[in-house]
Amino acid sequence: MTATVGTAGTTGVTGGIGGAGAVGPVGAGGAAEPAGVPAGAAAGDVDGWRAVAAATGPADRAAAEAGVRLAYRRAGLAEPERIVWAGSPRAALRLLREAPDGPCGPAARGRSVREAVRSAPWAAERGRLNELLGARGWGRRWAVTGARLWETTERLADRIRAGLVEEAAGGPADEAEVRLLLLDAVLGQHDAAWLCAFGTEPGSPLEGLAAVARSAGWWWPYERLAVVCERPVELHRDEAGRLDRGDGPALAYGDGFALHAWRGMPVPAAFPAELRALTPERIRTEENAELRRVMLEFYGYDRYLRESRAKPVHRDDTGVLWRIPLPDDEDVAMVEVVNSTPEPDGTSRTYWLRVPPDTRTARQGVAWTFGLEADAYAPLRET
Amino acid sequence: MYRQGDVLIVPLDEAAVPPHAADAPQEPRDARGRLVLALGEVTGHAHAVLGPGRLLREPGAVGPLLLHLPDGGRVVHEEHAAIPLPKGWYRVVRQREYVPGSVRLVAD
Repeated sequence: MTATVGTAGTTGVTGGIGGAGAVGPVGAGGAAEPAGVPAGAAAGDVDGWRAVAAATGPADRAAAEAGVRLAYRRAGLAEPERIVWAGSPRAALRLLREAPDGPCGPAARGRSVREAVRSAPWAAERGRLNELLGARGWGRRWAVTGARLWETTERLADRIRAGLVEEAAGGPADEAEVRLLLLDAVLGQHDAAWLCAFGTEPGSPLEGLAAVARSAGWWWPYERLAVVCERPVELHRDEAGRLDRGDGPALAYGDGFALHAWRGMPVPAAFPAELRALTPERIRTEENAELRRVMLEFYGYDRYLRESRAKPVHRDDTGVLWRIPLPDDEDVAMVEVVNSTPEPDGTSRTYWLRVPPDTRTARQGVAWTFGLEADAYAPLRET
Repeated sequence: MYRQGDVLIVPLDEAAVPPHAADAPQEPRDARGRLVLALGEVTGHAHAVLGPGRLLREPGAVGPLLLHLPDGGRVVHEEHAAIPLPKGWYRVVRQREYVPGSVRLVAD
């Protein structure tokens, strides 16, 4: 069971921004492990764990519960008396914050065993591999496994935490309580990034944790009970792996807990509806510079430029430089670039990149997008 | 230098190759045996190099990457024409975009 990866319901894949993706087995590119690394030390496949981190759809409750019980046993603990399911991390927090004598309250659940169930086995495995591979070898292993998934997965988990704090916290005391409870969470599928660096085959110390990760979302291990969450039902991201959706929540759980974002930037829940009714006037009068940027992107720079009768500032063989003055804000400077490879229908795609406001020529702007000075930018060939 | 979509491939003098490159961990090849310079997160489209060589990640989350092609190679992508690359060392730079207060990468 642990050899397969729970990809059912996956809507997308994630990975490190910059995405020079590792999608082969460890060692395939020459980052070979020293001879003598015993079976059971091999890291999992990055692609499979990438899919786990992005999986949506109902949890495999039987597999997750078996994983929870196994994780307790491997930690030397008695299995939890009860496993309680929650529709989302928000619902889990609500259960845990009910009356102190409630069914999941402090008295009923006992103390957190996250340290014993999750952190100690992880630290022991890391120590063991560090010993086995050497610090350098471990660094290499991490570079081609966990590091690939870390940034996008961690960013997603951070956004969820921020959303939970924002929704659940009514005041400073509430906020502290929510933050403390979040420290007790094991991230299930979002632990994929670090699990990917370790062996998780049957019999290995992390087998139980990996089984939960492959079948469910976040979970809270306590002495007498575990609260386990469903996975999201929707996850929408852009090519860079950032939360991104213009017509609904970018992340949503079945019970209604949701996050809205446009190309990674958190936006209010009502914002997507507003985006569809934008006018140049509305964009000009938006006072929040970040939201205005999102509006401009959504509306389309080209359309905005056309409708606001903007004039090109400069034109050369790299593209066209445009400038949109904004009241009480720095100018928006854009280079308009034509994609060199025609689309299948023979047309060429024009795209727009925002460049620093002090840009004076199109070449300077395009060169900046690659970190170069204008006169250093001279491609021999472009496609 | 060569440009394929949002990736710029800049030839690097042998003398300018950082000394740590000789010993740096290599980026693994993908399941099709290619060196992946940049991977689209959603479409899975990749700027990738065929042929023998090494790809090294410089410190930092987004590179740049160093590419060594002892016999030359070809950079391919699902939506862009292939570009032949002469043998030698290259720096691979991802395109970025200005955002007030920060900078972000472009993903085509």
